[in-house]
Amino acid sequence: MIGTFVLWEAACWGFGIREFVLPAPSAIWTATVSVWPTVLNHTLSTLTTVLLGFVASVVVSLPLAMLIAASPVISAAVYPLLVVTQSIPKVALAPILLVALGANELPRVIVTFLVAFFPLVVATVAGLLATPPELIELGRACRAGRVQELLRIRLPFAVPFVFGGLKVAAALSVVGAVVAEFVGADAGLGYLIQTSMAFFRSPLAFGAVVILALLGILLFQAVSLAERVFFPWSSGAQSGAPPVA
Amino acid sequence: MIRILHVGKTFRGRDGSAVEALRDVSLDVAEGEFVAIVGASGCGKSTLLRLVAGLVPASTGEVALHGEAVTGPREDTAMVFQAPTLLPWADVLRNVTFPLRLMHRAGPGTEDRARALLATAGLAGFEGKLPSELSGGMQQRVAICRALLQEPRVLLMDEPFGALDALTREEMSLELLRLWSARRMAVLFVTHSIPEAVLLADRVVVVSPRPGRVADVVEVSLPRPRSFDQEGSDEFQRCARRIRAHIFGERRAVA
Ligand SMILES: Nc1ncnc2c1ncn2[C@@H]1O[C@H](COP(=O)(O)OP(=O)(O)OP(=O)(O)O)[C@@H](O)[C@H]1O
Ligand SMILES: [Mg+2]
Repeated sequence: MIGTFVLWEAACWGFGIREFVLPAPSAIWTATVSVWPTVLNHTLSTLTTVLLGFVASVVVSLPLAMLIAASPVISAAVYPLLVVTQSIPKVALAPILLVALGANELPRVIVTFLVAFFPLVVATVAGLLATPPELIELGRACRAGRVQELLRIRLPFAVPFVFGGLKVAAALSVVGAVVAEFVGADAGLGYLIQTSMAFFRSPLAFGAVVILALLGILLFQAVSLAERVFFPWSSGAQSGAPPVA
Repeated sequence: MIRILHVGKTFRGRDGSAVEALRDVSLDVAEGEFVAIVGASGCGKSTLLRLVAGLVPASTGEVALHGEAVTGPREDTAMVFQAPTLLPWADVLRNVTFPLRLMHRAGPGTEDRARALLATAGLAGFEGKLPSELSGGMQQRVAICRALLQEPRVLLMDEPFGALDALTREEMSLELLRLWSARRMAVLFVTHSIPEAVLLADRVVVVSPRPGRVADVVEVSLPRPRSFDQEGSDEFQRCARRIRAHIFGERRAVA
């Protein structure tokens, strides 16, 4: 990581690459720090959109996945619709939503949600349906009904799958938020990138990109941390866990 | 207690072909009796247990417990599956109490009883471990404790020691006999091991393959408590020989 930055810096100086084509890391740093309060505001604005969109994906995806896994009929009815939402380019959808819902947070959250929720649904359904038949039979032998089977056996089994989906959704939320901001926003890192580039202020635009990358990493790590803390048995993490006395 | 009357079971395969797993099986098991079931692989032993557990319906005939026809899983029946089948996300204690919690039968004393039971199975101190932290034999002991904690009147065991090494197997057999003599439930015990069947059971049911039928029922009149010293006795040898004759006699007849 550090090596990349050093190489990047050296290349910019060595080959005399012009600043609006590829600014050196030092230039990015200076440009970003010089307007730090503004950058912070834009970051917080984007972070709000990302988090709201991410939470919306979780709140919608988990129950939706349970419905899909519970019934082949619902699955057959809902899955094609979901695929349609994924085939529509969000860049095309964003302006329409903006006009329909007005220039506020809502259309941006919806676009973020639309970008992020699908992998989460797919992963959760896969987990719910991958539950070994032996565990299902154990549930039946214990007189579990369909709801109990879903909540007490399938859902816990699906947790590692859900976290796989959550990690993808976390990264995609950042993408979704920026897409929404590109189309219509008066704040946010996506907006900052656009306005900076319009004025050939490449270093600042690159600074925003770096912050976006950091946001993505941060959110991904937060999801991983939550998995390790709350579900230590998930994703083989237990092998590294300290032995409990 | 358990009455299996002219039971047949035919499975319909994915391709539409029918597999007759059991044909005209009749068997009565008394309260507190230990019955072992032996037979070649694929002869329908697991299917017979599933029928008694109410997990699959019979195609013909009837299974009844206490005079009531079995139409689905019952609270007074517990099953130990061929594999440990533990919940990977729950620790040992929660695995053992899982059926009772699922059936809303867990009370304030459940946890203490579970701990005591785990201690008799040599698992004291492992209550907080995850299944992945246990050996295969320990996992199977947890599964047996899980079934016993339900205090069933009918205990169904499908090759519970199948995955264990010979030493652990002998030890566990004696442990099971100790637990059984303390509680006295009816046990249907599927095994591939003829000595194990003779050592444990009051009666050994020999099932012949394709379709599964009761080929013979061997009464074992060895005195209890049983031990491996009895393996040298005439009665033990007589029973083992008779069972073996059925299983290998059939092989010869088929070949
Ligand atoms: N769910 C099912 N669908 C279709 N066929 C089945 C099903 N369960 C069992 N069978 C068939 O029924 C027969 C008996 O199976 P079963 O599992 O009862 O044998 P088993 O005696 O327990 O064998 P093993 O000792 O290897 O465990 C087999 O031929 C198997 O193919
Ligand atoms: Mg079997």
